[in-house]
Amino acid sequence: MRKKPGGVLGIVAVTAAVALSLSGCRGDSGGQGGGSASSPGITDSAITLGITTPLSGATAGPGKCTVAGVSAYFGAANAAGGVKFGDGKTRTVNIKSYDDAYDPQKSLANFQQMVSDNVFAATAGLGTPTNRAFRDAAISQKVPQVLVMTGDPLFSDRKQSPWQLGFVPVYQNEGAAFGKLLAKSGAQHKVAILSQNDDYGKGYVSGFKEAIQGASNISVVGEQTYEATDTSVDAQLTQLASSGADVFFNAMSITPLTIAALQKAQQIGWKPSWFLPSNTSSPTAILEPGGASAYPGIYSVSFAKAPQSPAFAKDPDVVKFLDELKKYGNYPDMPAFPHCMWSYMVGATLEKAFQNMKEPTRDSFMTALRDIKDLKAPLMLEGTSVNTTVDGQPAVSSVVVQKYNGKGYATAENFG
Amino acid sequence: MGTFIQLVVDGLATGSIYAALALAIVLVNQATGLINFAQGGMAVVSAYIAYVFVELGLPLILAIILAIVLSFLFGALVERFLIRRFERGDPDTAVVVTIGLLTLVTGICAVLWGYNNLGFPSLFPLTSVEILGAVVSVRSLATAVTIVVIMVVLQLLFLRTKLGLALRAVADNPASAAFSGLPVGRLLMVGWGLAATLGAIAGVLVAPQLTLTPGMLDTALVYALAAVILGGLTSPIGCVVAASAIGVLENLVAVYIPLIGHDLKIAVPFALIFVILIVRPQGLFGRKVVVRV
Repeated sequence: MRKKPGGVLGIVAVTAAVALSLSGCRGDSGGQGGGSASSPGITDSAITLGITTPLSGATAGPGKCTVAGVSAYFGAANAAGGVKFGDGKTRTVNIKSYDDAYDPQKSLANFQQMVSDNVFAATAGLGTPTNRAFRDAAISQKVPQVLVMTGDPLFSDRKQSPWQLGFVPVYQNEGAAFGKLLAKSGAQHKVAILSQNDDYGKGYVSGFKEAIQGASNISVVGEQTYEATDTSVDAQLTQLASSGADVFFNAMSITPLTIAALQKAQQIGWKPSWFLPSNTSSPTAILEPGGASAYPGIYSVSFAKAPQSPAFAKDPDVVKFLDELKKYGNYPDMPAFPHCMWSYMVGATLEKAFQNMKEPTRDSFMTALRDIKDLKAPLMLEGTSVNTTVDGQPAVSSVVVQKYNGKGYATAENFG
Repeated sequence: MGTFIQLVVDGLATGSIYAALALAIVLVNQATGLINFAQGGMAVVSAYIAYVFVELGLPLILAIILAIVLSFLFGALVERFLIRRFERGDPDTAVVVTIGLLTLVTGICAVLWGYNNLGFPSLFPLTSVEILGAVVSVRSLATAVTIVVIMVVLQLLFLRTKLGLALRAVADNPASAAFSGLPVGRLLMVGWGLAATLGAIAGVLVAPQLTLTPGMLDTALVYALAAVILGGLTSPIGCVVAASAIGVLENLVAVYIPLIGHDLKIAVPFALIFVILIVRPQGLFGRKVVVRV
């Protein structure tokens, strides 16, 4: 068992190395027109982007969205003639997608495949362990791994991750947004916390605790954890309910567990206000089956307009997005996951960087990508924007706390 | 005290999920001598079939009955056309085949229905009743009662009926069973069909709570296997008792022994297995048999 993957990886690595040296040769001979040689994956008429993301397995729902959103955005841009780059040339943008099934081994192999497929940059892929798996390889081969869907702060640290940039807010950003809202409420609140026992859960909790530090009106009265593989968190909820908390921060990433938790708490008569992370707060997929209307308030954070919300049904951004998602993204349904909207914004952010890159090289691309300020990408909520200029922060670090109103979310200025 | 009783009740509810699957595993083992690792996967297929009928507009109970009937056929066909080829050979090979089957049916479910969590309607309302100060959801209560009924029926089937005797004879010694005139092949098909039926019931019982996904029963399968080993491969009552005990023990240990907590509680049933198997290799309720797996 142990020996085989290594052998396969070895073969992949050797193949990739051969392919890399071959493509390097090609790059040299192609650069005869003078000026600097272009990087692999970009020609005068086209650029190729790669996405390694879960297209099968338990995370395939959000994973498919990451491909659909980017494909929709650039499908429409290509149909309109292509993207005008900073070097004056107009190129079509091609997307290659690779299934990693949320398996780090596979995402690393996929990255090597991307290199041999002459991909200019990896982007939009979902998953912390999977993105981490090929981070070192991307750095050593100087391939951009940008606007990836992970809340891990490592990807936005420029010194440690020179060829990386995260897209979505880091977990701490979200936790802090909840903490701030609660602290400024002025009223006394007792908080119970249930978190996933990994970086995801810990990130949320540390962001939250930092934000409530010094707020004398907030006390944390109970803290529990669970494993991502657990089938039930009933015992934790029973225990937390006995703490008498009136606010419950449920830093959970598993859809069925979140639904079960919402049901369980009301069954045992515990009805606090809930804080839910952005990826487990979908009105149709989670709140409705969980019977969330029974609680005084369900809060979540977001930076994207929710297409299923009646408030945005006629929003021009949303109408255009849904149309393009159907036409070019091969995604005919109403998106159940925010990742469809996020990756559409990734498309807009990439386009902005393309427009500003002066040379057809990865270096020039990274420089242009790190110089985007206050970009209001389509579908972004009032009060949020893309800002890539701050070291240590992902492309989007601003979130808006929202409250569930029985159908969708509306921005919450105050708690209560 | 209130918390303690609630934890016990919660544990029994979780345990009933493990028990449902464990019963199906015991049934296949009793009827064919194999352990079917695909039992959870097949139960998920059944739940999806019921889901399709519900989507077509059939009443839930009718959809479930249809799914159960189809599951019987599915189980019988899997035995006839797949497992049959491996039954006479090395039991280890058959085990690997069932693991392969698990991967296959999970993949097929994913292709047909995707990985999104589908809401599955429940036969029972989401209301709850209070017993001894603990809140019990009607759904969990009904699930537990159903499991107990199935357990009794199974126990009677194996010990009091001709079919049960024949099934056991075939599992125990196919060659002698054939010589004494039993239709071995057909009995094996019936055994798998019945197990698939039971799996279907388990699937539709837990689908409302876990929400329907291709991997819905993967973790439950691990616990169900633990219950089967702990309770004894030959005893329906034993595996239900063991499954309930695992559910309750896990909860109590997680809350009252801080050193273990919620993060290490999954180790508890397995530690228990080591201890019990050393003392009683046939499991708590099992009869001593030559185990082929």
